[in-house]
Amino acid sequence: MRIKLTSIMVDDQDKGLRFYTEVLGFTKKHDIPVGEYRWITVTSPEGPDDLELALEPNANPAGKAFQEAMFSQGIPIAAFEVADIAGEFARLTAEGVAFTRPPMRAGPVTLAIFADTCGNLIQLYQPA
Amino acid sequence: MLLRHEGFRRLCRARDLLRERREPSPSIADLAREVQISPFHFIRQFEAVFGVTPHQFRIQTRLDAARHLLATGHYSVTDVCMDVGFSSLGSFSALFTKRIGEAPSAYRRRVRAMVQVPGVIPADLTPGCLTLMGRLPPSAFARPARNFREA
Repeated sequence: MRIKLTSIMVDDQDKGLRFYTEVLGFTKKHDIPVGEYRWITVTSPEGPDDLELALEPNANPAGKAFQEAMFSQGIPIAAFEVADIAGEFARLTAEGVAFTRPPMRAGPVTLAIFADTCGNLIQLYQPA
Repeated sequence: MLLRHEGFRRLCRARDLLRERREPSPSIADLAREVQISPFHFIRQFEAVFGVTPHQFRIQTRLDAARHLLATGHYSVTDVCMDVGFSSLGSFSALFTKRIGEAPSAYRRRVRAMVQVPGVIPADLTPGCLTLMGRLPPSAFARPARNFREA
Protein backbone atom coordinates (compact mmCIF):
# COMPACT_ATOMS: atom_id res chain seq x y z
CA MET A 1 0.00 0.00 0.00
CA ARG A 2 1.38 3.37 -0.99
CA ILE A 3 0.34 7.01 -0.73
CA LYS A 4 0.43 8.07 -4.34
CA LEU A 5 -2.61 10.27 -4.72
CA THR A 6 -4.27 12.85 -2.59
CA SER A 7 -6.80 15.51 -3.46
CA ILE A 8 -7.98 18.97 -2.77
CA MET A 9 -11.42 20.38 -3.57
CA VAL A 10 -11.62 23.42 -5.80
CA ASP A 11 -14.66 25.56 -6.57
CA ASP A 12 -13.66 25.91 -10.24
CA GLN A 13 -11.34 23.43 -11.94
CA ASP A 14 -10.06 25.90 -14.57
CA LYS A 15 -9.21 28.44 -11.93
CA GLY A 16 -7.70 25.72 -9.75
CA LEU A 17 -5.45 24.40 -12.51
CA ARG A 18 -4.31 27.93 -13.30
CA PHE A 19 -3.50 28.74 -9.68
CA TYR A 20 -1.77 25.48 -8.82
CA THR A 21 0.40 25.56 -11.97
CA GLU A 22 0.97 29.22 -12.85
CA VAL A 23 1.09 30.67 -9.34
CA LEU A 24 2.26 27.83 -7.10
CA GLY A 25 4.45 26.28 -9.81
CA PHE A 26 3.20 22.69 -9.87
CA THR A 27 3.19 20.73 -13.13
CA LYS A 28 0.03 19.45 -14.79
CA LYS A 29 0.10 15.66 -15.08
CA HIS A 30 -3.44 14.74 -16.15
CA ASP A 31 -6.36 16.73 -17.49
CA ILE A 32 -8.96 14.24 -18.72
CA PRO A 33 -12.64 15.06 -19.26
CA VAL A 34 -14.98 12.86 -17.17
CA GLY A 35 -18.62 13.71 -17.79
CA GLU A 36 -19.39 17.22 -16.60
CA TYR A 37 -16.02 17.56 -14.87
CA ARG A 38 -12.36 16.74 -15.39
CA TRP A 39 -9.78 14.52 -13.76
CA ILE A 40 -6.97 16.95 -13.13
CA THR A 41 -3.79 16.10 -11.25
CA VAL A 42 -0.60 18.04 -10.66
CA THR A 43 2.83 17.01 -9.40
CA SER A 44 5.64 19.00 -7.86
CA PRO A 45 8.71 19.67 -10.02
CA GLU A 46 10.67 19.26 -6.79
CA GLY A 47 9.43 15.68 -6.56
CA PRO A 48 8.52 13.00 -5.87
CA ASP A 49 7.20 12.99 -9.43
CA ASP A 50 4.83 10.06 -9.00
CA LEU A 51 2.94 11.64 -6.13
CA GLU A 52 -0.14 13.34 -7.57
CA LEU A 53 -2.50 15.93 -6.19
CA ALA A 54 -5.99 15.77 -7.76
CA LEU A 55 -7.95 19.02 -8.12
CA GLU A 56 -11.46 17.77 -7.47
CA PRO A 57 -14.66 19.66 -8.18
CA ASN A 58 -16.49 20.64 -4.99
CA ALA A 59 -19.88 20.27 -6.68
CA ASN A 60 -21.16 17.96 -3.95
CA PRO A 61 -22.98 20.20 -1.44
CA ALA A 62 -21.59 18.14 1.47
CA GLY A 63 -18.04 18.74 0.26
CA LYS A 64 -18.73 22.41 -0.24
CA ALA A 65 -20.15 22.79 3.29
CA PHE A 66 -17.06 21.13 4.78
CA GLN A 67 -14.71 23.23 2.68
CA GLU A 68 -16.42 26.50 3.60
CA ALA A 69 -16.60 25.72 7.29
CA MET A 70 -12.89 24.91 7.46
CA PHE A 71 -12.10 28.07 5.50
CA SER A 72 -14.21 30.37 7.67
CA GLN A 73 -12.55 28.94 10.75
CA GLY A 74 -9.16 29.77 9.27
CA ILE A 75 -8.07 26.12 9.13
CA PRO A 76 -5.77 25.04 6.30
CA ILE A 77 -6.85 21.97 4.35
CA ALA A 78 -3.36 20.93 3.23
CA ALA A 79 0.27 21.74 3.95
CA PHE A 80 3.16 21.94 1.51
CA GLU A 81 6.80 21.88 2.55
CA VAL A 82 9.13 24.57 1.27
CA ALA A 83 12.87 25.07 1.62
CA ASP A 84 12.72 28.86 1.90
CA ILE A 85 9.49 30.12 3.41
CA ALA A 86 10.51 33.78 3.45
CA GLY A 87 11.36 33.57 -0.24
CA GLU A 88 8.05 31.87 -1.08
CA PHE A 89 6.13 34.42 0.97
CA ALA A 90 7.77 37.27 -0.98
CA ARG A 91 7.30 35.54 -4.35
CA LEU A 92 3.63 34.63 -3.78
CA THR A 93 2.77 38.02 -2.32
CA ALA A 94 4.21 39.63 -5.45
CA GLU A 95 1.93 37.32 -7.49
CA GLY A 96 -1.07 38.77 -5.63
CA VAL A 97 -1.65 35.85 -3.26
CA ALA A 98 -3.42 36.74 0.01
CA PHE A 99 -1.86 35.40 3.20
CA THR A 100 -3.80 35.13 6.45
CA ARG A 101 -0.63 34.43 8.40
CA PRO A 102 2.87 35.63 7.52
CA PRO A 103 5.80 33.28 8.16
CA MET A 104 6.17 32.70 11.89
CA ARG A 105 7.97 30.24 14.10
CA ALA A 106 5.83 27.51 15.63
CA GLY A 107 7.93 25.02 17.56
CA PRO A 108 10.13 23.04 15.18
CA VAL A 109 8.80 24.70 12.00
CA THR A 110 8.15 28.10 10.47
CA LEU A 111 4.73 28.30 8.90
CA ALA A 112 2.53 30.61 6.86
CA ILE A 113 -1.05 30.36 5.55
CA PHE A 114 -2.51 31.63 2.28
CA ALA A 115 -5.79 31.44 0.34
CA ASP A 116 -5.63 29.34 -2.84
CA THR A 117 -8.43 31.36 -4.60
CA CYS A 118 -10.45 28.12 -4.91
CA GLY A 119 -12.00 28.06 -1.45
CA ASN A 120 -9.11 26.64 0.60
CA LEU A 121 -6.48 27.83 3.00
CA ILE A 122 -3.10 26.19 2.47
CA GLN A 123 -0.27 26.04 4.95
CA LEU A 124 3.36 26.33 3.95
CA TYR A 125 5.98 25.10 6.36
CA GLN A 126 9.71 25.07 6.52
CA PRO A 127 11.34 22.56 8.82
CA ALA A 128 13.96 24.11 11.06
CA MET B 1 -1.31 40.99 0.57
CA LEU B 2 -1.62 40.17 4.23
CA LEU B 3 -5.04 39.88 5.82
CA ARG B 4 -5.21 39.93 9.56
CA HIS B 5 -7.84 38.01 11.45
CA GLU B 6 -10.46 40.78 11.36
CA GLY B 7 -9.98 41.48 7.66
CA PHE B 8 -10.27 37.80 6.81
CA ARG B 9 -13.41 37.45 8.92
CA ARG B 10 -15.02 40.37 7.09
CA LEU B 11 -14.37 38.78 3.72
CA CYS B 12 -15.92 35.49 4.88
CA ARG B 13 -18.94 37.45 6.07
CA ALA B 14 -19.11 39.19 2.68
CA ARG B 15 -19.15 35.82 0.96
CA ASP B 16 -22.17 34.81 3.04
CA LEU B 17 -23.90 38.10 2.30
CA LEU B 18 -23.33 37.73 -1.43
CA ARG B 19 -25.28 34.45 -1.29
CA GLU B 20 -28.31 35.99 0.34
CA ARG B 21 -31.40 36.69 -1.70
CA ARG B 22 -32.48 40.20 -0.84
CA GLU B 23 -35.00 42.42 -2.54
CA PRO B 24 -33.76 44.74 -3.91
CA SER B 25 -30.39 43.17 -4.42
CA PRO B 26 -27.73 45.30 -2.62
CA SER B 27 -24.99 46.87 -4.70
CA ILE B 28 -21.37 45.81 -4.21
CA ALA B 29 -20.72 49.21 -2.59
CA ASP B 30 -23.59 48.57 -0.13
CA LEU B 31 -22.06 45.22 0.80
CA ALA B 32 -18.60 46.77 1.20
CA ARG B 33 -20.13 49.25 3.65
CA GLU B 34 -21.88 46.45 5.47
CA VAL B 35 -18.60 44.61 6.11
CA GLN B 36 -16.76 47.87 6.77
CA ILE B 37 -14.19 47.73 3.99
CA SER B 38 -13.78 50.51 1.40
CA PRO B 39 -15.26 49.45 -1.97
CA PHE B 40 -11.81 49.59 -3.60
CA HIS B 41 -10.18 47.34 -1.02
CA PHE B 42 -13.23 45.12 -0.84
CA ILE B 43 -13.08 44.18 -4.52
CA ARG B 44 -9.31 43.82 -4.48
CA GLN B 45 -9.15 41.70 -1.33
CA PHE B 46 -12.13 39.56 -2.24
CA GLU B 47 -10.59 38.72 -5.59
CA ALA B 48 -7.21 37.87 -4.03
CA VAL B 49 -8.87 35.47 -1.58
CA PHE B 50 -11.64 33.92 -3.66
CA GLY B 51 -10.25 34.24 -7.18
CA VAL B 52 -13.24 36.17 -8.52
CA THR B 53 -14.69 39.64 -7.90
CA PRO B 54 -17.70 39.97 -5.57
CA HIS B 55 -19.91 40.60 -8.61
CA GLN B 56 -18.64 37.49 -10.42
CA PHE B 57 -19.08 35.48 -7.23
CA ARG B 58 -22.71 36.51 -6.90
CA ILE B 59 -23.45 35.64 -10.53
CA GLN B 60 -21.76 32.27 -10.09
CA THR B 61 -23.72 31.54 -6.93
CA ARG B 62 -26.98 32.31 -8.68
CA LEU B 63 -26.09 30.15 -11.66
CA ASP B 64 -25.17 27.25 -9.37
CA ALA B 65 -28.50 27.61 -7.59
CA ALA B 66 -30.25 27.73 -10.97
CA ARG B 67 -28.53 24.55 -12.07
CA HIS B 68 -29.65 22.81 -8.93
CA LEU B 69 -33.26 23.94 -9.30
CA LEU B 70 -33.38 23.01 -12.97
CA ALA B 71 -32.02 19.53 -12.18
CA THR B 72 -34.12 18.63 -9.16
CA GLY B 73 -37.26 20.71 -9.21
CA HIS B 74 -40.23 21.03 -11.42
CA TYR B 75 -39.83 24.70 -12.12
CA SER B 76 -39.95 26.55 -15.40
CA VAL B 77 -36.86 28.39 -16.62
CA THR B 78 -38.61 31.69 -15.86
CA ASP B 79 -39.42 30.64 -12.29
CA VAL B 80 -35.84 29.54 -11.73
CA CYS B 81 -34.51 32.80 -13.17
CA MET B 82 -36.62 34.89 -10.77
CA ASP B 83 -36.10 32.59 -7.82
CA VAL B 84 -32.30 32.75 -7.87
CA GLY B 85 -32.33 36.55 -8.15
CA PHE B 86 -32.12 37.56 -11.80
CA SER B 87 -34.63 40.14 -12.95
CA SER B 88 -34.20 39.62 -16.68
CA LEU B 89 -34.75 36.30 -18.39
CA GLY B 90 -32.58 37.44 -21.29
CA SER B 91 -29.51 38.16 -19.21
CA PHE B 92 -30.06 34.99 -17.15
CA SER B 93 -30.19 32.84 -20.28
CA ALA B 94 -27.17 34.55 -21.80
CA LEU B 95 -25.06 34.20 -18.65
CA PHE B 96 -26.17 30.62 -18.08
CA THR B 97 -25.37 29.63 -21.65
CA LYS B 98 -21.98 31.30 -21.54
CA ARG B 99 -21.00 29.72 -18.25
CA ILE B 100 -22.59 26.26 -18.49
CA GLY B 101 -22.26 25.77 -22.21
CA GLU B 102 -25.92 25.23 -23.05
CA ALA B 103 -29.17 27.14 -22.65
CA PRO B 104 -31.16 26.67 -19.39
CA SER B 105 -33.98 24.89 -21.21
CA ALA B 106 -31.57 22.46 -22.92
CA TYR B 107 -29.77 21.85 -19.62
CA ARG B 108 -33.05 21.18 -17.85
CA ARG B 109 -34.14 18.67 -20.50
CA ARG B 110 -30.84 16.84 -20.54
CA VAL B 111 -30.28 16.70 -16.79
CA ARG B 112 -33.82 15.85 -15.80
CA ALA B 113 -33.57 12.76 -17.97
CA MET B 114 -30.68 11.63 -15.73
CA VAL B 115 -32.65 12.07 -12.52
CA GLN B 116 -34.22 8.76 -11.59
CA VAL B 117 -35.71 9.27 -8.15
CA PRO B 118 -37.43 12.63 -7.69
CA GLY B 119 -35.21 14.99 -5.79
CA VAL B 120 -32.07 12.90 -6.05
CA ILE B 121 -29.19 14.49 -7.87
CA PRO B 122 -27.30 12.07 -10.13
CA ALA B 123 -23.78 11.25 -8.98
CA ASP B 124 -22.45 12.59 -12.29
CA LEU B 125 -23.36 16.10 -11.20
CA THR B 126 -21.86 15.87 -7.72
CA PRO B 127 -18.63 13.91 -8.00
CA GLY B 128 -16.51 15.62 -5.34
CA CYS B 129 -14.77 12.34 -4.63
CA LEU B 130 -12.21 10.05 -6.13
CA THR B 131 -14.88 7.99 -7.92
CA LEU B 132 -14.08 10.05 -11.00
CA MET B 133 -11.13 7.67 -11.34
CA GLY B 134 -13.38 4.77 -12.29
CA ARG B 135 -14.09 6.31 -15.65
CA LEU B 136 -10.55 7.20 -16.63
CA PRO B 137 -8.86 5.57 -19.63
CA PRO B 138 -6.18 2.99 -18.76
CA SER B 139 -3.50 5.41 -20.00
CA ALA B 140 -4.04 7.48 -16.87
CA PHE B 141 -2.43 4.67 -14.93
CA ALA B 142 0.42 3.96 -17.33
CA ARG B 143 3.52 3.01 -15.42
CA PRO B 144 6.96 4.11 -16.49
CA ALA B 145 8.99 1.26 -18.04
CA ARG B 146 11.11 -0.56 -15.53
CA ASN B 147 14.78 -0.69 -16.29
CA PHE B 148 15.28 -4.26 -15.18
CA ARG B 149 12.74 -5.45 -17.74
CA GLU B 150 14.63 -3.80 -20.55
CA ALA B 151 17.89 -5.36 -19.44
